Amino acid sequence: MAPGKKLQLVYGLAIVLLVIAVISYAGYSAKTPDPPLRMMYQTNAGKVLFDHQTHLGSQGYALACADCHHHPPEMEENWACGDCHGAPEQYDTMAETCNQCHYPSDYDLAEILKRSDAFHDQCIGCHRQYGAGPESCNACHVL
Amino acid sequence: MPEAKKLIVSHAPFIHDGSSIAHRSGQVLLALMPAALAGIFRWGVPALGVIALSVSSAMLWELAFNKVARRPEGIADGNAAVIGLLLALLLPATAPWWLVIAGTFLAVVIGKQIFGGIGANPFNPVAVSLAILAVSWKQFLDFDAMLLTYDPGFVMIEPLTAAKAFGTEAAARFSSLDLLMGRQAGAIGAPFGLWLIVGGLYLVVSGVVRWEIPAAFLATLIVVAAAFHLVDPLRYAGPAFHLLTGYTLIGAFFLATEDSSSPVNFWPMLIYGAAGGLMTILIRNIGAYPDGVIYAVLVINMINPLVDKIRPRALGKVT
Repeated sequence: MAPGKKLQLVYGLAIVLLVIAVISYAGYSAKTPDPPLRMMYQTNAGKVLFDHQTHLGSQGYALACADCHHHPPEMEENWACGDCHGAPEQYDTMAETCNQCHYPSDYDLAEILKRSDAFHDQCIGCHRQYGAGPESCNACHVL
Repeated sequence: MPEAKKLIVSHAPFIHDGSSIAHRSGQVLLALMPAALAGIFRWGVPALGVIALSVSSAMLWELAFNKVARRPEGIADGNAAVIGLLLALLLPATAPWWLVIAGTFLAVVIGKQIFGGIGANPFNPVAVSLAILAVSWKQFLDFDAMLLTYDPGFVMIEPLTAAKAFGTEAAARFSSLDLLMGRQAGAIGAPFGLWLIVGGLYLVVSGVVRWEIPAAFLATLIVVAAAFHLVDPLRYAGPAFHLLTGYTLIGAFFLATEDSSSPVNFWPMLIYGAAGGLMTILIRNIGAYPDGVIYAVLVINMINPLVDKIRPRALGKVT
């Protein structure tokens, strides 16, 4: 093949691949399923990979949503746990969330567990109760 | 007395055997195809997007730098396409577009062109790029975090991370057959051990890659991993696990053997490969990172000029 023709072919290949890439990224990027399969929590003590599907599905522990997402069970919006269980520096945004259903006089932000305590209580408490699942730090946290 | 036939060298003109850089690149691309196709089949259209973007952007970076530096256009030799495909096979299927474009820039421009272009790079351009990406945006190379949306029906925890954090109990969840067939969380192409072995052996048989480097790399990796496993079987996973996880096979066959950054003589190739296998296990077992292949390749690239000083005795040399 003549060098000029070969160069044209290579340019063409690069452009075609670029078009395929643009279409793939624009139209077929991976979507988070609802409910999620797994969740990754980045914490100061290392990342935690939580297998949501195993806890939820009929092939797993078949827990109901409200067994963990405790408050309020009938809520329509998908709130993140940290919307309510935040650190003291997040009290302002937490109050905005709480005030959607409560009067400020009904609750004390300082009494609401911060997210890490809420998670630890929930995970370890349930694992202890059923005698299954990890309880020690390095069984979940990966530095 | 030396054999007379061995000393006969005819004078010019010589006949060119028809091989070219483009031909070699084509062979490497062909050898990577099974793993690439397996990756697209497993991870779907997003993997196709990463591969297509990586190959095309690597070619376009090559073209752009050649224009800026007023060098002859090297895009047709296929080396940039090889770099792009190799890099894509090491990235997660959900890698964002800007990471891929940054990665190919780092590989083609920083890893290759600024050293003088093809044949002048002291380090494997793909390894340089991935090392910089891993240090700069490590969250995007965390396969556990990047593959949260996939449910392919097997254990979706990156094996090396699990083994490093939770010991051999976690490693035991993965059967060797599953790992060989690529049923593991990981990059687009690197987990498909069987297809990488097929591709790697094809390169060895077709003469593009010499057998000494991958053989020494993998043999040393197996021996050192077995030694660690024998010393503490609860803490260190066995040799089959290390052989079939992470970037081991793609590193041994495709990264460590890159022409410009690897030695050409017999003993240097064995030493270079063996050092790669040793470094990989040392980094994995007592280093900070779950996988050590990329850094091991960079380290052996660094010793390449030194080990390549070990040369056969020059014929007729009088000392």
